[in-house]
Formats: sequence, C-alpha cells, structure tokens
Amino acid sequence: MIHAAGLTKCFNGHTAVNAISLDIAKGQIFGLLGPNAAGKTTTIRMLCGIIEADAGEILIDEMRVAQAKMGFGYVAQSFGQYEELSVWENLQFYAQMYGVNDEQRLHLLLQRYALEPFKDQMAGALSGGYQRRLALACALAHDPKILFLDEPTAGIDPVTRKLLWDDFYQLSAQRKTLFVTTHYMEEAQRCHQLAFMAAGNMIATGTPDTIKEALGEVKVYTTQTPYLPALHHVLRESEGIVLINQFGTELRVIVKPEVTLTSLENIINDVIDQPTPLQISEPNLEDVFIALTQDKAVTA
Amino acid sequence: MRAMIKKELLQLRRDPRLIGLIVVMPLVLLILFGVALKLEPQNVKMAYVDKDHSYFTDLIKTSLWTDGYFELYEVTSKAKIIEEIRAGRAKAGLYIDGSFSELLTENKQPHVTFYVDGTMPSLTTAMKYQSASTTDESVTNDMYFSDPDAPNIVIADTPFIMDTQVLFNPDEKETWFFLPGVIGVLIMQIALILTGITVVREREKQTLEQLLVTPISKTNFIIGKLLPYVLIALLDFYFILAVGWGLFELPQPSSHLLLFVLALVYVAVMISLGLLISLFAKTQQQAMFIAIFIIVPSILLSGFIFPLEAIPEAVRYISYMIPFTYFVEIIRGLLIKQTLLIDLLYAYGALLGFVVVFVTGSIMKFRKTL
Repeated sequence: MIHAAGLTKCFNGHTAVNAISLDIAKGQIFGLLGPNAAGKTTTIRMLCGIIEADAGEILIDEMRVAQAKMGFGYVAQSFGQYEELSVWENLQFYAQMYGVNDEQRLHLLLQRYALEPFKDQMAGALSGGYQRRLALACALAHDPKILFLDEPTAGIDPVTRKLLWDDFYQLSAQRKTLFVTTHYMEEAQRCHQLAFMAAGNMIATGTPDTIKEALGEVKVYTTQTPYLPALHHVLRESEGIVLINQFGTELRVIVKPEVTLTSLENIINDVIDQPTPLQISEPNLEDVFIALTQDKAVTA
Repeated sequence: MRAMIKKELLQLRRDPRLIGLIVVMPLVLLILFGVALKLEPQNVKMAYVDKDHSYFTDLIKTSLWTDGYFELYEVTSKAKIIEEIRAGRAKAGLYIDGSFSELLTENKQPHVTFYVDGTMPSLTTAMKYQSASTTDESVTNDMYFSDPDAPNIVIADTPFIMDTQVLFNPDEKETWFFLPGVIGVLIMQIALILTGITVVREREKQTLEQLLVTPISKTNFIIGKLLPYVLIALLDFYFILAVGWGLFELPQPSSHLLLFVLALVYVAVMISLGLLISLFAKTQQQAMFIAIFIIVPSILLSGFIFPLEAIPEAVRYISYMIPFTYFVEIIRGLLIKQTLLIDLLYAYGALLGFVVVFVTGSIMKFRKTL
C-alpha cells in the first residue's frame, strides 16, 4: 500500500533522512519510532508529498503521491485546522476540498469522535484532546484508504490516548492502512509493524516482538534499588554493559552475553550493602529503543 | 526589562530578510526619491496652434521652449488642443490667433490663450507660473523694438495678454485633484495588507501544511484565495467612492461601466499583488514591510501628487511599472476629464497586464510543498 525506496532528504547540507526504504501492507498499523530529530516528521511529510524528496521513490497505492492524494489523509503534528472556524465548518471545508458533500457522513464522523456537542464551537476554543479528534475527523472526511498520523497522541492524556488507539484499531479492521510516528513505547507495542529511525537512518524493522532481535544477543537483569548515581557510574564504566535503565525503583541492566550473573552481582555488591537478588528478564521495546539510539549516537 | 530588550534584538537578528528590508528599503527609497522627486516639471507636452506664424509669436514659443519646461508640438485647431489634453497626450496648450501681429503692432494688446490640464494640482500651479514668464520683459522687449526704423508706438504695459484657462477643473477644486487618486491609495493599502498576509498566516499558523496535503491544484488554490478578496475590495471601492460623492461633490464618471471595469481590474491587480507578496514573505511582519515598500513609491512616483513630468526621464520608467500610475490616469480621465475610452485603452491594457503577470507569478511561485 505504501512503498518507499531510497528516500533521502537533506536540509542545508545536513542529511535529515538517509536512503530509507519501507513497504507497508494494506490494513497494517505501521509505527515509525525514533527520538526527536530522527527524521520521522520529514519522512511522513515526504510520503504525503508536502516535502520533496531529494532522492528515492514513493508509491502510494501504486501511484505517485500527487496522483494518490484522494486516497490518503494526514494529521500533522501541530494543530492545522482553522481556529476561527467552527468544528463543523472545518470538517465541511476539508470534506469539500476532496469533493465530499455527504453531510450524513460528516455527522457520523462528529459522533464517532464525540464532537457533536462542540459542533458550533470555534476550533481554537477546543481543548488539545478535542482538537486532535477534530484533526482526525477532518483527515477522515473523504474516507481515505491510508491515514498518516504524525505523533497523533503527543501531549494527550492516557484516557484519550486509549480512545484514539481503539479507534485506530477499528480503522485498521476496516482495512485502512495507518502510518503512525511516535516515541511512546506503549504505542509502539500496539503497532503491527515497526521501524526504528535514528539520525536519519532506518536502524531496525519488524514486529514489536521480532524487532527486539535488533539488539542482538543480550541478557537483561533487573534488581530492586532506588536510583544511586554511584551504582550507575560503576556500571557504566564496566565492560560488556549495553544499557542501564532505571524505572522508579527497578534497575534494568542489559549486558552482552559474556557478562555473567556473578560478575554483575559483584559490581553491584561493591556499591550496595544488601542488594535484592538479580532477576533475569526479557528486553522490552524501550530497552531496544534506547539501546539502538544510543548505539547510533556512539557510532555516529 | 534588559532580558526583554536582549530577546527582542536577538529575534530581530535571526530574521535576515527583515533586517534586509529595514536597511535596504529606506536606502533604496531615499535614493529613488532624492533623484526622482522634483517639483519643477521638464518637457511638459504642449499642443499649440499658431495662426499668426510671425516673428512675435515665435518669440513666445521660443521662450516656452528654452527653459526645457515645455515641449511644443503643433496641432490644427483650438478644439484639437483641448482634445490632446483630454486624451492625456498633452498637459498644456497654447492658442495664438491669426490677428496677433496685426493687433500687436496696433498696440491693441492681442490675447493669447494658455490651456492647462486642471487635474494635476502641482503641475497646474507650476505651469501657470511658468507661462507667466512669457510676458516678462526679456520676451516682450523685442516686441517693442521689433522694427528699428519704426517709432516705438507700443504704449501698453504689456504688449499682449496671456489668458490662462484651467481645463476640466476650472475652479481648481482640491477635492477634484486628490480625491480620485486617494480612492486608489486606500484600495491599494486595504488590498495589499488584506491579501499580503493571507498565505503567510496559513504558513505561520501551520494550517498550510494540512492544506497542501489535499488534492487542490495550484491554480485553484490561487484563484480561490483571490476571488473573495477581489469581491470585498470591490465593495470597499464603491463604498469609498459613495462617501466621496456624498461628502465631497466628487463628479460623476463619464461612464459607469468603464468605472466599474477600472474598479474590477485595479482591485484584481492589487489583490493579486498582495498574494504575490504573501508568497514571497516568510513572516507576516515581512509581508507588511514589502507592502509598505510598494505603497510609498506608488503614491510618490505615480503622478498622483508630483507630476510625472517632474520625474527625470531616466527614472520615469519606474513610474510606468507602478500600477497605480495607470489608475490615476484612468480615474482622472473618467471622473474629471471625460477622456474617451480610446485614449485610456493603453492604461486599461497595462492594468490588465499587471493582473496577468501577478496571477501567473503567484501560480508559479506557489509550491505545493512546505
């Protein structure tokens, strides 16, 4: 449904996106992950045709982007609807831009996103969550096959975020293809397919389960301890440590296979008097995300 | 407060285009106006009829020529003089009757008629002053002693009398001079500011990004942006005109249809120019500056306040690149001079040309990418 090959974009001599390729099948929810400035927004904008790629090829539903515009919708990262128009007027405007005059359909969209009560309210007066819903409704006004969503849940409360994701699944069930950029791990977990981007490069692709393989052979140990700068320092200095990740009182240490449980325990015992025993765990997406991006930062 | 001042200065420094406008704009305008703005007209076209063709009448004509003030050309009749001025080909006229020499030698003070286009205030005053010099002693001296053998029989203070006739605006009403042009200035300001920010605002508010994803074509985008503002500015034009008629006894046009065409085309020029500005500017502030950069020279170099004839030939072509120049020409023609359409066609054509250039420019400049 979405095909890109060798996509490259430079801004003032700086390569924002470096020869990335992707193929997304119909009905998939595709998550593009990466830290800020990884090139996610540039990629999604190139796919939507609002930034011209310096090199590479894009096919949307087998068509060039300019010809495929009727077939996709786009929700930009920032609120792009007209603040001085009402919810209904915005929706109607975007529908008409695609030649859609089916008011029935627009009313259904309002209902779907619980916007009916705010129908006549100015879009600028809506809360962030409802602005996002309006943006989605506008992007869906012409019933596109593909939806590009640039960080659709950034700055959105968890309840609304869940509602939105429920909606994304419904759209996916209707055989719509969703392209989502995010840096929320729990959202990445919800995608069918993932791609990791860092510093303009595509560094890993796969499903949420298989993408963990990108870390290669590693072991994950966890222990219960509050944040101790001294411990972090010692660990960082040790051989074979891939990543140290503190979650509240849980410390996750990802190490290369050659690091043994005892050697790690010894390091920790030097700093803490009575440590809780180390547990063996599995890498989670966040481990992968941070390890891969820091890796990239080191090699770059 | 210091932090605030520093922040503002830093922000300004980060907008090189704005700095360029702040520095370059005054510089360019100052030099331009310094060179171009003169009150003394040069080579004002003057249509004349000299039925006497005598040594005396040559003296008058030569005195008009020599200062470089008037550029004389001959026409066939008195009616032709007025026609030439009405058409805008001449700004002044001179009529000398066949009996001039005869009356002069008989000391009967012949009359010479000097015609002035009354639609240009400063030009009218300057021309009247200039023409008065033809009765100066330096000119008339030779008339007293034209024939060294003949006795000096001239008794009158001045050998001949120069009658000045202000055409089209005989009472020299100031409102007639300025009001027609003022309408154009107001519309220019409204239109340029109104549309000057329309695309930049969409860019700044980030609605453009969302808009560019839609399948709208470049032409539809541009025309869709233009038309509503053309309509609004057109209504505004008539509103201003109506107030002018109501409050200041502005004359009725020779043709309402032609006035409407002028309003429509002129408004279209200004709106499309505004849109073009909006496509070039990166911020609303820049758009405002560019608009002012266009408005100020338009007012000063269009012949609206200072006569075109006073602008040196070398820079006068700039005047002809200003749409407002043609507006002034047409509106004066329609409201005051009753100029025939045929003599205004080139000005209408020029305005239409600007519309085509600006709209095409906008479509070409508009990118469907950020």
